[in-house]
Order: sequence, then structure tokens, then C-alpha cells
Amino acid sequence: MSIVPKETIHVIAQSIGISNLHDDVAAALAPDVEYRMREIMQEAIKCMRHSKRSVLTTDDVNTALSLRNVEPLYGFASGDPLRFRRAVGHSDLFFIDDRELDCKEITEAPLTKAPLDTAVMAHWLAIEGIQPAIPENVPIDPLSAPPEVKKSDIPGLKPDQMTVDLKLPVKHVLSRELQLYFEKITELIVTGADDVLLKDVFASLATDSGLHPLVPYFTQFIADEVTRGLNDLPLLFSLMRVARSLLLNPHIHIEPYLHQLMPSVVTCLVAKRLGGKNFVNHWELRDFTATLIAFICKRFGHAYYNLQTRVTKTLLHAFLDPKRAMTQHYGAVKGIAALGSKLVRLLILPNLEVYINLLLPEMSSQDQANELKRYEAIRVYGALQAAAGNCIYEMLQSAPPSKKKPANNKSQSTTRKDVDGDASMHEEDGADDKDEGVKRRRRALSEAWKEDVEVGDLINSLVDLFGEGMLPFIPMREMSKCIL
Amino acid sequence: DNEAGRYKESYSKLRNWVHSSLDLYKTELLRILYPVFVHCYMELVAKGFAQEAREFFQSFRDDHQPQHIRDLQKLEGVITPQHLQENETACTLQENKVHVKMCQYSFELLLQYLQSTESMLMLGIVNSHINLKAVLPGQPAALVDDDESSSLPAKVQAVVEATNQKEIHWGILEGSLEDKFEKQIAAELEKADADKDAETDEAKKRAADGKVKRVKRDKAGKGLKAEPAARSVPRLKPELTMPLLTDDFERQALDDLRNRVKLGSTALPSVSCYTFVNTNNSLNCASISADGAYLAGGFSDSAIKLWDMVKMGEPSMYSDAGKQSLNKRPTSIRHYIRLVGHAGPVYGVDFSPEGDSLLSASGDCTIRLWSTRLNANLACYKGHNYPVWDVQYSPVGHYFASASYDRTARVWSMDRLQPLRIMAGHLSDVDCVQWHVNCNYIATGSSDKTVRLWDVQTGECVRIFTGHRSMIVSIAMSPDGLFMASGDEDGAIMMWDLASSRCVTPLLGHTGCVWSLAFSGEGSILASGSADNTVRLWDVNGSSKVTADKTRRLRLLKTLPTKSTPIYTLRFSRRNLLFVAGAFSPSKGH
Repeated sequence: MSIVPKETIHVIAQSIGISNLHDDVAAALAPDVEYRMREIMQEAIKCMRHSKRSVLTTDDVNTALSLRNVEPLYGFASGDPLRFRRAVGHSDLFFIDDRELDCKEITEAPLTKAPLDTAVMAHWLAIEGIQPAIPENVPIDPLSAPPEVKKSDIPGLKPDQMTVDLKLPVKHVLSRELQLYFEKITELIVTGADDVLLKDVFASLATDSGLHPLVPYFTQFIADEVTRGLNDLPLLFSLMRVARSLLLNPHIHIEPYLHQLMPSVVTCLVAKRLGGKNFVNHWELRDFTATLIAFICKRFGHAYYNLQTRVTKTLLHAFLDPKRAMTQHYGAVKGIAALGSKLVRLLILPNLEVYINLLLPEMSSQDQANELKRYEAIRVYGALQAAAGNCIYEMLQSAPPSKKKPANNKSQSTTRKDVDGDASMHEEDGADDKDEGVKRRRRALSEAWKEDVEVGDLINSLVDLFGEGMLPFIPMREMSKCIL
Repeated sequence: DNEAGRYKESYSKLRNWVHSSLDLYKTELLRILYPVFVHCYMELVAKGFAQEAREFFQSFRDDHQPQHIRDLQKLEGVITPQHLQENETACTLQENKVHVKMCQYSFELLLQYLQSTESMLMLGIVNSHINLKAVLPGQPAALVDDDESSSLPAKVQAVVEATNQKEIHWGILEGSLEDKFEKQIAAELEKADADKDAETDEAKKRAADGKVKRVKRDKAGKGLKAEPAARSVPRLKPELTMPLLTDDFERQALDDLRNRVKLGSTALPSVSCYTFVNTNNSLNCASISADGAYLAGGFSDSAIKLWDMVKMGEPSMYSDAGKQSLNKRPTSIRHYIRLVGHAGPVYGVDFSPEGDSLLSASGDCTIRLWSTRLNANLACYKGHNYPVWDVQYSPVGHYFASASYDRTARVWSMDRLQPLRIMAGHLSDVDCVQWHVNCNYIATGSSDKTVRLWDVQTGECVRIFTGHRSMIVSIAMSPDGLFMASGDEDGAIMMWDLASSRCVTPLLGHTGCVWSLAFSGEGSILASGSADNTVRLWDVNGSSKVTADKTRRLRLLKTLPTKSTPIYTLRFSRRNLLFVAGAFSPSKGH
């Protein structure tokens, strides 16, 4: 009935020397004990409130007891949390674990450090209602960063002017703390600290206010280290994370330094060789960098209107140049895919057929003896599939296909298995029909960028190119609307 | 069959009936559930059905949790008939009938239900403990009465209504600094006008550059003129003998008022934050002197620590004192003076308006007066029998008021060791106290969830403000004497119109106790400091407009978060710089 079980009353009675307490007495006392305890706790909470705390301490309980003219409980003055132990043999009886201390040990122990004395610090919480970005204040809410300021920064600063500006021997006033911070961070990045520490580093870079003076140094650092450490994959990864953290930091106006940052980032996406030795997992780095580039374009596209066009131009060049290595193609495809389905439709799909035809020999074991190169080609193939699938998915999401079905799509989707047998394939329901369909689909691919393109046609042509392996890349529900 | 079972049965029937009634009448009928629930529980306890009472309580507790959590917590432990007689909450509930207002139709519905189901238990409870008031035969929608009235005991409500009829004089004091300041400005304006007249004659002869000058002066003159005209606050003769101010202090204060920054919704104040570090949770209270030069903290180890912020440089308000620290290396950590004398935790400290003395209230039932010049204890005021929670100087100094656990507030003067007045009437602890600007009234906030206004001269209670849902922890008075703000444990702030004793608006936003409230010098901004580590600035806009249109704009202007520093106190300087102070208490990692 009561929170305090009568066993507790028995135990307390025994502890003060009453061994033969009657069960009824214990049962009658239990609810009253509970009531008194609640009363004391309420008084204690009152004391806690007047001490302007939100944590109840043993002191509060003692003050409450003295308010009720009860002798306080001695021996609970230490700030350590009490250790409760379960009594053996009882399921819900607890006692405090009191350790025996040896006085000699205590007296002979070296003196502990004196606790720091109370002190007062003063700082500006706000100046005319605006919180200054100083370490004493909470990092400002990212939403409150005024976008107007950023914009006004950009127009005057053309990239080439900026480099000139930076190279002038301007004496920067960099506080000692910031210098130390920079040195520490760069050291950690270069030497490759453990993951936990690095995580903290990135978190600090992404949230701390007042890092702005360090931005030029960090961009320079990233540029230098990327060119120096192309063979060091963990380093490159860390550097890209640094770049990402800086971009995420709401207190930094990184736009003037983007031009310096971009080449390094693009390098990490479409470099021929990243991480030196073969079979290093540089794919992951490329994937990460691709999302990073997409993030930059999305966030700063409005300020740097030609940012995205320049990036896509670089990527497209890499993609369309058959002399480039497969790794570069992979990076380019990933980069374009990350920038959105519009660009995939505009840049990849129209070139897809030609490209696949070039890619297929690289993939087959007869034509390409080099195991590694074949693997690379397969990665590119996969990237293309994913890009196309995603693109279709988004198209279906935004505009469901019209009801009109291509006449022969059912047979195609079920019978077409051979990838490269496109033209040579003969079907029972008539070659004319099929030829017409092929043309139509080719047209669909090359005109994929148009707004009114038929999604069903696109899908069919993709299935033509990729085979049924394409299907899992498109969610079933959407596809069922237009294929089945 | 058994009696105890019938309580639960009939209550749950009533509850089901109310919940299944028409939405139109449901809100009204719901009001009856809490009093019935509480009385069912108490009757069960009184009849000795401890087990059943506990079961009953647990099964319906959640219904009333959001609104009445604190009362429920207090009642929860009541299990034996003896507890019923001891428990404060239970006693008030038993002694007083509860007022429940509802429209005629709901009233009839309820009666019909109670009679038709022959639930004599419920009928009995309603009869003996609830004062059903069938107001208006009209629609229930017409009743826009707030629901807190339902939980207020009838007797208390009657007292409240009677008390709030009394007349109060809310004007500001004749001869106060504000008054003198305005007079001075008016005098200067006259003089300027006279000068101008003289000048105009000359100006006719002079060239155009003179004109420009005059236009400028004109503008300045108008700006100053507009201010006193806008506030038509009546002046009052003081009822208490007022202490004389030293000339130096008066000159300086007037100078400060002249240099006061004008604040408003577009011009927010600068905020200077004093953070206590390494307090180990032992800081109980803090106070900042009117010019921000001194900072005092009251600690739970019964010491008071006093920091002279000027001596250490940085925010130097006095230029001459700042010189000493110029050649020293600026350090942000300051040394303090330790004032020892109390024998219990210090719960409240307050600086005199001139900053030369300090009062402290302690758990040892005494109030002590300290000199900040001599750093010594000057007097010890004994009178309270229980811990003193709060102490506040009057706006003119000399007089002060204290609030205590013994449910009284007392008014003292510095030269007498006995209190001048004892204000008794609160039903629970008096937790905080604040003077009205004209020194004729004090306001007290209590754990009984009310704020009361007392006449200092007669010692009578002249206003009772009901509406808070939990203990009141801070009060502030607007400089024009018309309004009062009070903050409670849950983080709600209420603005009260003193004359009508109505709540103007609740200001919601804080999520922790509102430890401190302060109006800016001209009363356009209310600042609140809370346990949720924020300072909030509220727009309470020029009060003179209120009388014209009732739509007073009260809104949150700005939230200033600190780095895990709950704000214990805040104060506007005479120049409208906001000082806040709190103890840095980092949340420990788990």
C-alpha cells in the first residue's frame, strides 16, 4: 500500500535495538513514515528553490529537517553520490555502502589539490541586443546569420582580385589562441589522430564561432596538403572533412575563399589516382567528395552564379573524354549525379548509349585482361546505373507518367535479357514494331533533358541498355504504373 | 457492496458521463471533476480506507496531472486521517468550498444526472464541498472565465474580490529622482525657450548659419519636451518620512538619468554578464549595485562574497577609480571580500540605491546590514522566527522589506532593530518581496500562488493577484507604478495592472524558474532571467498608450542564451545598461 514496505520499518527498528517489533505496528507505521518523508522532501525542495538550484542535495534535506526541529542526518556532507546496495535475500531492501577508511592512510596521503576559488568573470552577453561572437557566448543560432552580409561580400570580390589581395604582405592580427588552435588542428590532421579526436576536431570546426580569421589559412592548408598527399588516402579524407566542417560552420563567410577550395575538392573527386597503391578504397572518398560538391553548389550557387556551371563543365569534360582513366569517369558520374537529376538528364542520359557501348568491352573478361581495370569499369557501370535509376525515380515522383502505354513494352521488359543484343534481337510480335520502338527510345534518351519527355520511354530505353539489372534501381511501386 | 468501492465506481461513472457529454458543455462540466476527485480521495482517507484511497488516487491521477500537479504531489502522501488534519493543502480544501461557475443548462444537466443515477455519494460531495454557481441562463460560450477560478477556494475568492475593491494610489513619488529629473528638464526647456526668444531677435540680423544651429536646438528641445508630456503620471506626497539624499549622489544620479539610453523594441539594451565560476553549487543568490560597480553573492556556507568590479578595471563606471588598475595586467578573475556573520545559508542580498550598504537575509532567521565601504557588519535585525527568503531595499533606501518562511513579510527601517510593520495573510511561505516605486506599497509573492500588495502605512493587504499555477519567485514593478510583473517556478511571467488587479498578459517562453525580473529605466522593456540559461527581453511598450487602446503589445523581443549559466539576478543601471549575474554550472557528462 505504501511506498515504504514494512520490512524497512523492521530493519530500522532492529538498527535502533527493537528486535521484536510486531508486524501490525510496522504496517501501521509504514504509511506514516511515507507521509513524513514526503513532507520533509517538500520542505527540502523549497530550500532547493531558494538556493536557486534544480538539483536536490543532502544539505537541503538537512535544512528541511532543522526547519521541523529534527536533528539533521550527519555524515552525508560529501558531494559524492551515495552508493546504494541491495540487501542479500531481500528483493527491495537497500542500504548505503559505507566503506571503512583507515585513518592512517588518510593522514599519510599527499594533500590533494586545493579546489579553485570562486571567481567572477565579466563579458558582454549582448551589445545593443546583438550577441557578440565571443567564446563566452553560446554559438549563435545559424539561422540568425544575416544572408545580406554574405551577398554584399561577394560582388566586389572577383576570384583573381582576391588572390592578389591575399598575396599582399598584409599583417594579419591573429591572436595567439587562434595560432595555437590552427597549429594543433593541422598537426592532428597531418599526423592522423584517432577517430574520436578527429571527430571533435571536425565538430569544433563546424560549430565554433570566431574561426573566421583562420579561414584563409585553412584553405591554403587544404590546397597544399591535397597536392602533397595525393597518395595518402586517410589524409585526403580528413582534409575533405575539414572542408566540409568549414562549409557547415554558420559563423564563417567562406565564399571569398571558395575558389581556392574548389580545385582541391574537385581533385579529390576526379583525380586519376588517389591513395597511391592499387585496391585502396578511394571510391568512398570520391563518393564523399561528390556529396560535398553538391552541397557547395546548393549552398553557394546563389552567391556564385557561375559556380555550378564551372564545376559541371569540368566534370563533363572528364566524363566525355575516353582517354581519361575509369576512376576519373567514375568521379565525374558521381559528381554529376550528386548535383541532381536535372543534370543527369541533361548531361549523362543523352550520351549514355555511346558511352555504354564503349564501356562494355572494358567490362567483359574477354576484352579486358587487366583485373583491376575491369573492376573499375564495373564501378563506373554501377555508378551510371545508380544515377539513371535515381533520375527516373525523381521524375516519377514529381510527375507520374501518362496513362498511355507503349504498345509492346510488356514483352520487352520480360524478354529482353541480352544487353548488347539490342539491334540483333528478333521478336515474335514483329520486327517493324520493334524497330520503331527502338528509334523512339533512342529519341527519348537523347531528348531526356526536355521537360515533356515520356518517362515510360526513358525507362524502357534504360532497361534496353542496362538489362534487367536496371530494375532494382527504380522503386517497384512507381515503375509498376508505367511498365506493367 | 463495500463502501470504498462505491466511491471509485460512482466517480468513474461521473467522469465517463462528463467526457461523453456534448462538447459545448463539456469544458464547464470538466471543472467539477477535480474538486470531486480530491474530496472523494479525502473522504476515503478519512474513513480509513488507505489502500483503496491510494488505488483511487493512482487510477485517476493522470486526468488532473497537468493542471494541479503540485497539489497532487502534496496530497499524495496523505494516507491516514491524522495526516488530513495536518496537511496544509488538505486543510484548506476541507475548510473552504470551491466555486464552480457554469451556465444554467450545464447546471441542470449535472443535477439531473446526479439525481437520476442516484449516486448519493457524488451528490453529497457536490453539496458539501462545491459551491455551484449557475450564472446566466445563456450559452456556455459566453463564459470566458479562466479555469483557475475553479480551483480557488470560495472563501478566498470572496476575500480577493473584497480586497481588490480598495483604492490604491499608483502615482510616483513627489521629490523622487525621476520627479526631480523631469522638473530639471522642464526648467531647462523654459530657459532654452527664453534664450531662443532672445536669439530670434538677434538671428534676424545674423546669417544663415545661425538658423541651422537653432533648428538643431529646436529639435533637441522637442525631443526632451515630448518625453515628460507623454507620461502623465500623477505625483504623490510620501506617506513615510523620506531619507535625505547626499548632494553628490543626487547630482550623479540625475546625471545618469540625463545620459540614459532610450530603449524600445528597436533599441535593445546592452547586456553585461557577470559569471560566477567554481561555486560548486553553493551560490544561493546574487545582487548587483545600481551602477554595476559592486557584485555580491550569498553562499550556502553562510558567507557573503563581495566583488568590487571597478577596482579590477574593465567595466569602469567611475573614471577615477579605473586609473588604479590601468598599469596592472587586465585579469578577468577578480578578488573578493568575504563577509562573515551569518549562521545559515544566505538566501537574499540587496544593495542600497547608493551602493554603500548591503543587506542579507539568511536561513538563521536574521537580516544583516553590511557596509561596502568598511567591509564590516553594521547591524543584525532579528524578528523573523524562520528562515528569511528575501530582502529588498526601498527605492529611496533606508527602509527595507523582508519575506520569510514564517508566512509574513516585514517592513523595517535601518535605524530600528524591530520591524515597523508585519504583513500577515499569505497562506504559505512568502518567497519574494518588492517595493512599489512610490514606497507606499510592497508586493509579496508566495508559495500559495498569489501575489499580494500591502499598504506600508496601514499594514493592510490591498490587492490579491491570483492566476499563477506555482510558487512565485520574482516580482518587478514598472517605473511608472502602474504595472507589476511576477515570475513563477514554471517559467510563466504575468503582467498585472495594479489598479484593476487583472492580468494584462501572461508572458510565456521560459522553461525554468524565472529568478529575476527587471524593468528598464523608462519602463519600455522587461528583462527576465531564468534557470533555463536565458535572458529574455520583452516589449512592454510605453504604458501611457495603454489607457487609450486596450490592446497592449506584449511580446518577446529577444532571447539571449548563456553558456549553461542560470541567471540569478538582473538589473538595469540608471543609464539603462542591463547587468545580469549567474553561476556557471556546466551540466556534468553522464
